[in-house]
Amino acid sequence: MTEEFEPKIVAFLCKWCSSAGSDLAGVSRMEYPPNVVPIQVMCSGSISPLYILSAFNRGADGVLVSGCHPGDCHYIKGNMYARRKLALVKKLLEHVGLESQRFQMSWVSAAEGQKYTQIIKDLVQQLKPLGPQTKLRRID
Amino acid sequence: MVKLEELRKEARRLLAEGEVRCIIGYLRNPADGKAVPGFIRKPEEADALVWDPTCFHNLARFLVDEKRRKAREKNPDTRPVGLVVKGCDSRAVVVLLQEKFIERGDVVLLGLSCEKTGVVDERKLAKAVPGRALRQVEFGGEEEFLVTTEDGQVRIPAGDVLADRCLECPANFPVLSDWLQGEKTKRAPAGLFASVEPFEARSTEEKWDFWLTQLRKCVRCYACRSVCPMCYCDECVVDTINLAVTPDTTAEEKAQKIRWVEKSPVDSENIFYHLVRALHLAGRCVDCGECERACPVNIPLRQLNKKMEKEAKTLFGYDVGFDPDTPALISCFRDEDPQDFIR
Repeated sequence: MTEEFEPKIVAFLCKWCSSAGSDLAGVSRMEYPPNVVPIQVMCSGSISPLYILSAFNRGADGVLVSGCHPGDCHYIKGNMYARRKLALVKKLLEHVGLESQRFQMSWVSAAEGQKYTQIIKDLVQQLKPLGPQTKLRRID
Repeated sequence: MVKLEELRKEARRLLAEGEVRCIIGYLRNPADGKAVPGFIRKPEEADALVWDPTCFHNLARFLVDEKRRKAREKNPDTRPVGLVVKGCDSRAVVVLLQEKFIERGDVVLLGLSCEKTGVVDERKLAKAVPGRALRQVEFGGEEEFLVTTEDGQVRIPAGDVLADRCLECPANFPVLSDWLQGEKTKRAPAGLFASVEPFEARSTEEKWDFWLTQLRKCVRCYACRSVCPMCYCDECVVDTINLAVTPDTTAEEKAQKIRWVEKSPVDSENIFYHLVRALHLAGRCVDCGECERACPVNIPLRQLNKKMEKEAKTLFGYDVGFDPDTPALISCFRDEDPQDFIR
């Protein structure tokens, strides 16, 4: 009996936009895969690269970081810093040979429940063929 | 040409007039003919200073120790230190200034250009004169080094023994100095990112195989961290033992201390450590190559840092270590920063 691989995704969602966007998806009863573990952070700019590496280290198959659209940040420019910082993280992860699909970033506003569900659906679709993430995972 | 006598004269003057507390420069190690970092405290000792292609150490690291010393002593000598810098070292000082870790008045920079070539790589040099005891290495114009061994002098093409970083050096003269000797030349014989570019063409799995093989060797001695002028944090995030435990520390506090990365040298933790280090050095690493030189198991650590340097340059147009007045790479942004990877 072989079960289909279900990727585990850790999503860092900013409180003001993406988290509200995922909430909207929830209250609107939109259906999307249950593979995602949302973690609310105050701002996408507050996400340290350590969080992402740590998520992979503890066994996440994919990591999504989502914040407000540029210009809409509650803290004016937090997402602009995030964009720069996480671009470096993405490049580095690709450089050491992690599949580029495993770490993704998106802008989701509080009104974009539909977009959020679509992002999660696509992410799950992309991660399924890759199988479990074992490269950065800690072996206990 | 760098006139060594001029450097010694300047060092003597600075010490005699009491302008600096000491001079940190290069002395010759008589045992193997190579340079070693040394502290000159008296004017008459200044004649021991040397400048040759074996001066590969980055002395900017000592500024970190110097700052700690001042913080530790009750009545510290607050005079600046004189520091002998070559191109890469001066860029390290620029980054330390940029981050306001030190102040401009804390250091007197004695700049020396790399004589249009650069410094040698110890391992390459050992291969070029196999089994011969080294007496001295000298600059010999733009294309050669004069290597004196127990068997006499030989001329070795610079390209054969130059340190990898010198082949990709953006500016082999001090970009910041109070006193300067030598020519200002820019030459990167191999191209600025020559070591990274062929690697980027590899497939994901090839990249991973390469890094797994390399980072698996890591014994977590933290030599790379100890030798790095940019790794000056009092508390490193990868240390799991650095919670200040006092009699008042509760069990809960100890348990709550986040352990981002375990100390054990296993694959996942080694990779975590080196990725964290590369990210923390992004836009700060001046490519002095000390981490790679200090590494006892020959991990190509420069590759990771160079990749970050390349991305800083290509994505954000950021040059590391040239202007002390610009903000650090990740504490600024431009509206037109690329975001094609974001949905």
